[in-house]
Amino acid sequence: MSEVAGRRHQISLPQWATLPVVVGGFIVMAWIIIGLTVPLWAPYDPTMLAGRRFVPPGAEHWLGTDALGRDVFTRTLYGVRHSLPIAAAVIASAVVIGCTLGAIAGFVGGIVDEAIMRLVDVTLSFPAILLAMAVTAALGPGLANAAIAMIIVWWPIYARLMRAQVLAVREREHVEAAIASGATPSRVLFKHILPLCWSPIIVNATMDFGQVILLAASLSFIGLGAVPPTPEWGQMISDGALHFYRWWIAAGPGIAILTIVLGFNFLGDGLRDYLDPRSP
Amino acid sequence: MKPHFTGLLAGVAALAASSTFMLPAFAQEQPLVIARNLEINSLDPHRAFCDTCQIYLSATYQGLVKLGPDEKSVVPALATEWTANENQTQFTFKLAPDAVFSDGSPVEAKDVKWTFERLKNVKGDPSFMMAGVQSIETPDDKTVVINMESPNSEFMGILAAPYVGIINSDVAMENGASAGEDAATADQAETWFLANSAGSGPYVLQTYRPDDELRFVRNENFWQDSPPIGEIVIDQVADAVSQAQMLQSGQADIAMQVDPDTASTINSPDIVIETVPSYNFIYVVFSPGAEANQVPLDLEVRQALAYAIDYQGIIDFTVGGEGKMQASPIPNGFPGTEGLPMPEENLEKAKELLASKGLDKGFSIDATVASMNVYGVDLALLMQKVQQDLSRINVTVNIQPVASAVWREQIVKPGIPFSARFYAPDYYGSAQYVQFFGMIPDSWWERNAGGQGKVDVVNQREVELLEKALSSSGEAMEQAYHEIALEMIKDRIIVPVVSPNLVLAYRNDIEGVRYSACCNLPLAEISRK
Repeated sequence: MSEVAGRRHQISLPQWATLPVVVGGFIVMAWIIIGLTVPLWAPYDPTMLAGRRFVPPGAEHWLGTDALGRDVFTRTLYGVRHSLPIAAAVIASAVVIGCTLGAIAGFVGGIVDEAIMRLVDVTLSFPAILLAMAVTAALGPGLANAAIAMIIVWWPIYARLMRAQVLAVREREHVEAAIASGATPSRVLFKHILPLCWSPIIVNATMDFGQVILLAASLSFIGLGAVPPTPEWGQMISDGALHFYRWWIAAGPGIAILTIVLGFNFLGDGLRDYLDPRSP
Repeated sequence: MKPHFTGLLAGVAALAASSTFMLPAFAQEQPLVIARNLEINSLDPHRAFCDTCQIYLSATYQGLVKLGPDEKSVVPALATEWTANENQTQFTFKLAPDAVFSDGSPVEAKDVKWTFERLKNVKGDPSFMMAGVQSIETPDDKTVVINMESPNSEFMGILAAPYVGIINSDVAMENGASAGEDAATADQAETWFLANSAGSGPYVLQTYRPDDELRFVRNENFWQDSPPIGEIVIDQVADAVSQAQMLQSGQADIAMQVDPDTASTINSPDIVIETVPSYNFIYVVFSPGAEANQVPLDLEVRQALAYAIDYQGIIDFTVGGEGKMQASPIPNGFPGTEGLPMPEENLEKAKELLASKGLDKGFSIDATVASMNVYGVDLALLMQKVQQDLSRINVTVNIQPVASAVWREQIVKPGIPFSARFYAPDYYGSAQYVQFFGMIPDSWWERNAGGQGKVDVVNQREVELLEKALSSSGEAMEQAYHEIALEMIKDRIIVPVVSPNLVLAYRNDIEGVRYSACCNLPLAEISRK
C-alpha cells in the first residue's frame, strides 16, 4: 500500500501543463461552456426588455440594465456566442490561406515566392484596423463582413511565418536525404517539411484568438461590425459610451473582453514555452 | 528682490483692475463655442436642408420677413411693409432703404427676384417652398411683386424660413450661381457657398471645415443692431455625453443635443439646463416603393405595423419620458392639429390586419437608419425599441445603421423599406408638412416612399385639401389642414413616434439662448453677461 501511495505522489502534471496554460485554459474553457449552454440557463432574453432602463447592478440584474431595459449580464454572456465563433472562423481561414501560400512560397521559391511575399508586404503595410475598416466599409456593416475583413488582415502573418519555417526546415539533412532518395516534391513537403512547421503556427494562432476578438469588438464599437440588437461586446461598449455615466453598461462586456483575451494570451504563452522553447 | 516683487504685485493689481473695467467688452469678443453634431448637407441656401443649416442660414442671411417673438406671426426683416391682394395671389413688398449685404452693397429688388427664381429652379431640397410662384416683378429697386399661380395663404410664413434668405445676386453670379430655368444643372456655386456667405445677416461665414467646425464672425456692415458676440464657433461634437463633458469643462458655452438622460447627470452650478417643448419630431417611415421590400408594404400591412408600436414606451425609453406623442406629421400646435387622434397601440388589430393579408407568420423588413443622435434621441436605439415591439407580431426588423450621408443617398435609390428620421419646422405654418410629408405628387416623401414612381402612393384627397387650405384663411384653413392631417394618418407612410422636449444646456454666463420654431437657435440674440 505504502509503495502505491508513494508512486501516486510521484505523479506530476504533464510537461505542457504550466500555470499559465492551466489558468488560460480554464478561462477559455469556461467561456466556451458558457457559449454553448447559455441559452439553457440565461436569466433573460438578450434582445428583449428585461426591466426598467438604466437599473444599476443589483440582485435582480447583476450587471444592471441598458438604455432599452435589457439585462447587461445576459447580453454579456451571449456576447461570447458571437465573439468566439468569429475568432475561430477568422483564425482558421487565415491559417489555411496563409499557411498554404506561405508553404508554396517557401518551397517553390523564385518568382512565385516573390509574388506571394510582395502581396504579403503590401497587405501588412496597412495598419490592421485601418485595412479592416476599409474592407468592412466597402462590404457593409455586419459580423460576416467584419470576419472577411479580418481574414484579409490576418492571413499574411501566417504566410510569412509558414514561409520562414519551410525555408528553415528544408535545409535540414533529412529533407536533403529524402530528395536524394527520389521522394516527390509533394511528399517532401507534406511528409518531411510541414510536420515540423506547425509549432509556431499553433502558438501564434492561440495568441491571435484574443487579438481577433479585440479587433472584432473594435469594428463593432465604431459601427462596422455587429448590427443592433446583436449582443456583441464591442457593440455593447459602444452603447455604454452613449450613456457614459451609467458605467455598468460597458463594464460587463469590458470585463468579458479582458478575461477572454487574457485567457488566450496565457494559453498561448504557455504553449509557446512548451512547443517553441527557443522563443523568449 | 523686494522692489521687483512689489512691482510685480502692483502690475498684477493694475492688470486686474483694468480687466475688471474691460470685462464686459472683452467677454463679448471671446469666441462663443457651441457643441453640436453639425450634420450639414450643404451651405448653399437653396440646396441646404438640415437643422444646422437653419442656424447657419438665419445667422448669415435675412429674409423679407422673419418669425416674430410669439413664434407664429411674421415681422419685418428686409421688407419694411407688404400687402397681399384679396385672394392671396399677389404679394407686394417694399424693401428697407438702408439694407445692405455684408460687402456693403444695397439689397435690391433684383436680388429678391434672382434669389426666389434660383430657389425654385435649382431643384434642391427646399425648392418646394417656391412651388406656385408664377412670376416676380421689380417695378423699382426697392419694390418686389410676387404673383402666384394659385392662392397661397401661407406664403408670408414661408418667407420667414431660413432657406428663403436673400442672396447678393451679383456676388453669387460671379461665382458660378445661376437662377435660370436650367439652374439645376447650370448652377456651379455650391462649392463656393461652402466657403463664403453672401447675405445681409448679422454674421458672415468665416470658415467651414466638414466634421470639424463652422465659424462665424460678426458682419461689420450689418445694417441693423450689431450682434453682441463677435465670433461664434459651432464645434463638431457627435454625441450627447461629449457635448455635456465639454460644457462642464468650460470648453463649450452651449451644448445643443444633450438628451434628458445625460442632462440628469449634470450637477454643476455653472450650467443652466432648461427643458422646453419643441415642434421637432422623430418619425418612422414605410417606403412601399423600396427595392428591398420582401412583402408588399400595402396599406393594411403599414397599418398593422403602426398598431404594433408601443408609442408611450418609445417616449419612456428614448427620452426618459421627456416628450409627447404626435398624431400626424403636422406637429402639435400647428394649424389644424387640435383634436387629432393620437397614435394607438393595438396588438390585436395589428395581428388581425396581418392575418387578413396572410402574413400572420410574420416577415422580415430591412430598416436602415442614420447612426446619429437627434433631439436627444439615438435613432438606432429607437429602432431597436421598434424592433422589440414588432417582434410581438412576428415581424423581424433588420437594423442597419449607416452614416447619415449614406442614408440620404439610399433613401432616394434603391429606397429603404423602413426607417426613422426627424424634422424641425422651417416656419410657422402647416403647408410645409403637407408639401414635404404628404402623399401629393412630387413631395419629398411621395418620391422616396413610392420608389421614384414605382408604386403609386399619391393621395388625391390631400392634393385637393391642400389647394383648399392655401386659398382660405382662419377656421376654414384650420379645418382643411385638420382633414389633411387625418388623411396623412390614414396613409401610414409617415408615423410620428415622439416629439421630444428640447434640452437647452449652457453655461450660466450666457444669456439669450432660446429655441426658435424656424431657426433652431438664433445666434444674434446670444450674449455674455
